[in-house]
Amino acid sequence: MELKFYIESGIIESYVLGLATEEEVYELQHMRRLYPELDTEIDIVERRLERAAFDESPLPPMELKDRVLQRVRWENGNAYTEPDPGSNYTFINIHPQDKNHILVHKWWKIFFIIFFIMSKVFLFLAIFYYLKYRQTQENHSSLHPVFQQEQVTAS
Amino acid sequence: MRRDLAHINEQLLIERLALGDPAAKEWLYDKYAGALYSIALQLVVTETKAADVIVRVYNWAFHHIGSFHTSGHHSLFTWLMRKTREYAIQEMIPDSALTGAELIKQEEGILQKFYLLLPTDQQQVFRLSFFKGLSVATIARIMAQPDEQINETLKEAMRSFRQYLKSNWN
Repeated sequence: MELKFYIESGIIESYVLGLATEEEVYELQHMRRLYPELDTEIDIVERRLERAAFDESPLPPMELKDRVLQRVRWENGNAYTEPDPGSNYTFINIHPQDKNHILVHKWWKIFFIIFFIMSKVFLFLAIFYYLKYRQTQENHSSLHPVFQQEQVTAS
Repeated sequence: MRRDLAHINEQLLIERLALGDPAAKEWLYDKYAGALYSIALQLVVTETKAADVIVRVYNWAFHHIGSFHTSGHHSLFTWLMRKTREYAIQEMIPDSALTGAELIKQEEGILQKFYLLLPTDQQQVFRLSFFKGLSVATIARIMAQPDEQINETLKEAMRSFRQYLKSNWN
């Protein structure tokens, strides 16, 4: 009888909605230990509320799913492929909790490493060929005085 | 919704979520996002805010699925709904920017519909408690009534909510 009165007071609904005070939550946990059948009633209320919410649920915006699952995709890389095609693009996400950092796809790391190495290679080749060019010019002018004379005559 | 997970039970889903299964995460979104979005819309004023709330809720859920069993909840939906309300209250536009008309205008959603059925005194207490996240003591100060009175009014509203659910979704 006490349990029925307790249930009918709406305490479970209050708890499920997050409106119960700390004391009420503590009391409910105590009652759950005393009356294990209370768990069944909590389950019934939760399922009732779930059915009610499902009856009223609108379709969320299409892009919301991408926003929710983009981190999952990053974390799993190629191991997970989205069943719905058409999401073949790179995300650059400004993290909402920290405006000083951005999250980018891990492939950017590989791209930057390759870019860095290639820039060093090209710099080395540029200096190498410049020096080689200079050396060729110097050799050309010092080893062929006739050529120098020809140049003077021509000018 | 993933075909291989179409008939998965909640316990197995929780186990797969705890293992970080991306298909289970997608399934969790597909199953509950609509209902949670509806709850969020009833709490915050704009669709953008509601979407932000849902992103935060799922991000939290994916990382804290292990705490479900100690939460005292039986269904994943009510576990997520509780977090949705918590985040929605954090994301809410301050009272100074609201006229109070926004919530009353919204007649969609189970909680808004229930709210509109309540007598005026219960409406006010339920609105400040559920939709605004205020404590009984704060509501008592706002309404210039004793805490006990507010507590009793809220309990009345909860008894009505129980009857409302029982009569429509039993």
